[in-house]
Amino acid sequence: MKAELVLMGKRVDMAARTRRRALVVLIYSTLVVLMAALFVADHWRTTGYYLVFATFLVNRLFLGGYNFGGLIKPFNGKPPQRTEAPPFLLLAMHVYPQEPVSSEYRSDEREMQMRDRAHYQAYQALAVALAVLWLLSSWNVFRPHLLAWIPASPALLIYGLVLATIVVTLTLPQAILLWTEPDMEELSE
Amino acid sequence: MNENSQREPGESGLYNRIAVLRAERGISRQQLAEAMDVNYQTIGFLERGDYSPSLKLALSLADYFGLPVEAIFSKEPFKPLSQQVYGAGRARLALHTESDLEESA
Repeated sequence: MKAELVLMGKRVDMAARTRRRALVVLIYSTLVVLMAALFVADHWRTTGYYLVFATFLVNRLFLGGYNFGGLIKPFNGKPPQRTEAPPFLLLAMHVYPQEPVSSEYRSDEREMQMRDRAHYQAYQALAVALAVLWLLSSWNVFRPHLLAWIPASPALLIYGLVLATIVVTLTLPQAILLWTEPDMEELSE
Repeated sequence: MNENSQREPGESGLYNRIAVLRAERGISRQQLAEAMDVNYQTIGFLERGDYSPSLKLALSLADYFGLPVEAIFSKEPFKPLSQQVYGAGRARLALHTESDLEESA
């Protein structure tokens, strides 16, 4: 995990756990508000995709893990594949130079252990989410009267839950790591 | 300095002498981390006993300090080095000096 976040060229110290927890709360609050706003806009008909794109952006800027950038090192431990020659970009071709894996991207054995533990914890939450989705889908198809009390369409409710589950899948392991890792020590110690 | 050679075993349930050995040799956490090819935070976790190292890392630490693994890690609290080296009878004075040294480190 990195001790600081670089935003718009400014370095933000994130070594303290309280700051990282505040960031996690802020990110999920923003995503919930965004999801609600997109529902109001067009019931996620087209804007549902925007929520997923926003989640990728959150990973890129703040969380990392499944993206380069952000506080958590890439989960696969590999550096970004740099394209050295700009003209190849226009042709959508990429040149992947052979570079050694730098320590900036590679996690050590403790970090790998924490990564795996965070995924285990996230898996449990996602299993519960999938069980709820299965139950709602089952009722929607076979016992629609059980969902009659819902003001919106049950299908829309299930779609919203799927959307939320995707957001959580993409962010929860990183959020768990940011939440649980203790304050980072000074390098000079 | 964080060390757990005689106090709490930490989350790993292991006692270790890494902090003492590092102080003795005047090595910073960063230097040790670079030598072991791990993050410097991991050295802190090891010293506090909050992380149980892999066998490979434990052996690398033993190689680095030129000591057997059991001189660095233990399931039981370590006796002070002076007591181990000089024996219980002669160690009273040395024990006092060493505990002072460890506290000051």
